[in-house]
Amino acid sequence: MPKTKLGYKVGQFLMFAGPAALLFCLVVIVPFFYGLYLTFTSWDGVSLNKPFVGLDNYSAVVADTDFWTSLGMTVIYSVITVVITNIVAFLLAFLVTSGIKGQNFFRAGFFIPNLIGGIVLGYVWKFIFNRAFVSIASGVTGATVPSLLSTTQGAIFCLIFVSVWQYAGYMMLIYIAGFMSVDASLKEAALIDGCSSRQAMWHVTIPLMRSSFVTCIFLSTTRCFMVYDINLSLTNGEPFGSSVLAAMHVYRTAFTEKNYGVGQAEALVLFIICAVIGLLQVYVGKKGEVEA
Amino acid sequence: MSSATVSAGIPQAKVPMRTKVGHVVLYVVLIVLLLAFISPFLIVIINSFKNMSDITSDPLSLTGEHGFTLENFTGAMDAMNFWTVFGNSLIITISATVLTIIFSAMAAYVIARNPRWPACALLLTLMVASMVIPFQVLMVPIVSVYGGIFGVLAHRLTLILMHVGFSVSMATFMFQGAIFTSVPAEIEEAAEIDGCSKWKTFWSIVFPLLKPMIATVAVIDAMGFWNDYLLPSLVLTDKNLYTIPIATQVFYGTYSTDIGLVMAALLLAMLPILILYLFLQRYIIAGVAAGAVKG
Amino acid sequence: MNNSWKRIGTAALASLAAVGMLASCGGSSADDSNTLTIFNSKSEIQSQFEQMAEKYTEETGVKTEVYFSSDTISAHLSTRYASNNPYVLSMVDAKDVYSLGPEHAVDLSDEDWVADTTQAISVGGKVLGFPVSIEARGLMYNADAIEAITGEEFNPEDYQTLDAFEDLIDELKAGGMESPTGVLKEDWSLAGHYLPQVYEEQEDPVAFVEELNAGTADLANNDKFNSLMDTFDVLKANNYAKDSAISAEREVTTQNFAEGKIAFLFGGNWDWAIINQYDYTDGLGIMPVPQNTDDGTNTKLVGGGSKYFFIDSSDNVTDEQRQWAKDFLNWLVSDPDGQDFIVNTCSMVSPFSSNTLEPADPLGKSVKEYSDAGNLIGNFNGLPDDHYSVLGADFQKYLADQEDRDAFAKAIETYWSGAKMTNVDAFASSLQ
Repeated sequence: MPKTKLGYKVGQFLMFAGPAALLFCLVVIVPFFYGLYLTFTSWDGVSLNKPFVGLDNYSAVVADTDFWTSLGMTVIYSVITVVITNIVAFLLAFLVTSGIKGQNFFRAGFFIPNLIGGIVLGYVWKFIFNRAFVSIASGVTGATVPSLLSTTQGAIFCLIFVSVWQYAGYMMLIYIAGFMSVDASLKEAALIDGCSSRQAMWHVTIPLMRSSFVTCIFLSTTRCFMVYDINLSLTNGEPFGSSVLAAMHVYRTAFTEKNYGVGQAEALVLFIICAVIGLLQVYVGKKGEVEA
Repeated sequence: MSSATVSAGIPQAKVPMRTKVGHVVLYVVLIVLLLAFISPFLIVIINSFKNMSDITSDPLSLTGEHGFTLENFTGAMDAMNFWTVFGNSLIITISATVLTIIFSAMAAYVIARNPRWPACALLLTLMVASMVIPFQVLMVPIVSVYGGIFGVLAHRLTLILMHVGFSVSMATFMFQGAIFTSVPAEIEEAAEIDGCSKWKTFWSIVFPLLKPMIATVAVIDAMGFWNDYLLPSLVLTDKNLYTIPIATQVFYGTYSTDIGLVMAALLLAMLPILILYLFLQRYIIAGVAAGAVKG
Repeated sequence: MNNSWKRIGTAALASLAAVGMLASCGGSSADDSNTLTIFNSKSEIQSQFEQMAEKYTEETGVKTEVYFSSDTISAHLSTRYASNNPYVLSMVDAKDVYSLGPEHAVDLSDEDWVADTTQAISVGGKVLGFPVSIEARGLMYNADAIEAITGEEFNPEDYQTLDAFEDLIDELKAGGMESPTGVLKEDWSLAGHYLPQVYEEQEDPVAFVEELNAGTADLANNDKFNSLMDTFDVLKANNYAKDSAISAEREVTTQNFAEGKIAFLFGGNWDWAIINQYDYTDGLGIMPVPQNTDDGTNTKLVGGGSKYFFIDSSDNVTDEQRQWAKDFLNWLVSDPDGQDFIVNTCSMVSPFSSNTLEPADPLGKSVKEYSDAGNLIGNFNGLPDDHYSVLGADFQKYLADQEDRDAFAKAIETYWSGAKMTNVDAFASSLQ
């Protein structure tokens, strides 16, 4: 069959992407549209009735100042976390692919934070911030030092710190794969041509790792925007409700306050923001890829 | 470490280490970083062998006044019905991971090689966009559709397929990136000239070349499935099908969290995943060392 | 290289096939119409509940399974409703009975136990909620710690006024206990347990809350608010974690209290589940929150029914299952084993007068004494769902000295003027 025929294309597409596309649609797309419908109802989450209210929930979202505050906080948190996470992850990946002895051991070690699920992680860190750090700092200064978690900026700092600690090992894995897939002969050629190893890194390795960067930045951004587990177990929005990030606000609106429709609509707004940022990022990254 | 490790370093090892001092500094930096990364984990290990009273009074000491105890472990295994839920977790994680890898590598192949086909472009866009859907948005709709209308909850197979459906998007995204960077289109063309079908080309040439990414995706997805709480808690409405994270939730309450049991359960739960990671990490390296990527 | 790859592929496919078979055979049927499914929302009694269910299944032949979820109750139940797979019997908080009951619960008015308790919840003239236990709030004291310093027997009745209480605090401090109190900073404790006393101890709580909602109440000059906040100030000023009040961990505070390093902590008998994990001393108890008042509220604890069972009324549950559930509730009330389960196995205080077993734990003993003597001020079960999280944040500011009392009063008034009154209305109508 000629490769330009529509039939050929459809056949190829279904043969390779069929199973993935089918499951993806069933599990994500179908429920998504049902969820979209729910944003036009004033359902409370438990009642048998789902009264249709049109766009009321969306005007409630616009009027919900707490939601926008939490979203602003999420943006700040995400930008800082993404930048630091990726720098740390890249450096870690570089160090553990530099051919030193025992690099397997180090890789495993840096990855370990990911093996602990978000909830327990928060408990453990809360305990470290509130107890271990406080007793060390108080010992050094000789006065009672309040925990970082008890101040507004401190709580956000702790969230960023723990997120970086957790995500860095994960992103490191992707960067390692990136380092590994850079054709070694290209770099050798650059070195033979008289490049210093730093130049080779900058002009050969990093451009070739573009897709790793795109992946990692995309993944860390979206994870940050949707973070919930750590937020719940580390700060639970405290102190004074200052560390409530967007996903937590959505959850509370939908389930604690039983405003399911509004919560769902807020989640959708969050989704649209993430989607725009994410797609933009991937688009820019891809464009560069072709040029490189 | 194994010889594979050393040979993996060949590209960089040709860069001469300037001095021995540099080497030592590198190690010191790595060890300090490593300690920072795993110290919370060490605290978990230490405290899982202490009772609640000792954990609260001094979390940093090796043992407390009540001494060393295994009660957290026996208690956690008992309360979780450990071996049953362990088996469930294993079945679900393995099948979902294998299916995710196969389906998404296939999808990524057709997408990466035909980016201009509208179906491919649309699917990739939808998949990328879906990665930013907060799970809470889908939570109630999923149970409404698959529980309320179709009544297929409380089956392992349902959960496995849902896991796959949720994770194919990211895996496909990662695989298509890897195909771009590490599978030269020329070898495929050569294979086709030799008379290979696309299907055969994919399985005999492309798929093996994706090995480092397969190992990466396997680790990431297996870990995600193993630790996932929300989706299984929605789907597995039958006690006999519980996975480890659902079984451990009983240790968390509004008014009481038994942190000793939580930590013991955590250690029990993470061992298999740690082993998987250590195993697969060798593969990432082996794939590169054998020059598979160079083709 | 290729060989090993093939081997892995073969192994993977083989395991997949095996797993697929297991998955399809091992998947249990979604049909559990032959089971009495019970949802338990108290994590501390889950293992006791499971053991009991096994025994109950053996003795009665009714297959009983107990489930627990650490999610928000309404979030968890909403997913079960959405999947047409509700629990036959669900344990929820009082407010959930008001919001879920009218649509999802069976009328239990004809049950024998209704006459045996004052704590059942009725909505619209129908009894919908079966009370599981009685819980009450007050000031927990560690008599051993106090007596060790004062050298005389501690008698809670002597410290009903704030003045007397402050004298005792001074005496304890002079005797070497530098900071005799603890304060839990959790929002549910501050704004879910302490603050509601301001409404509950008014002459007409519903009317007062409605005034707040209408903007006509003057909280800053309200006697009850001020008297409770005066007491809170004393607790706050003598807090062992004064400098780090909003990062004090509940476990540490509770341990200090249990072991007598501090003498007073505001809480209730549910705290026993944590206290008993530590090396507690014997002389613990709960007393009314001391206040300079003569309205009698400083002689009573605040509380009542806590956690309620309701039976699902939908078509997804059969009448036979509903009957099993009713039998189970009767078993809890009147069967000696059921009574023993509530009081001794779960350390709860039974809300049924026919259950005369003495609670084994000291906090439960205190609560039962006050309850039997009719000295409980009822819970205000109609607070809006976001009350504790929104005002908890403000109460934390107050605790951290970032907000003074007037500002806190303002914050409460502002909150109420925009609050959803659905729960209040439902609660009010159930009182009539």
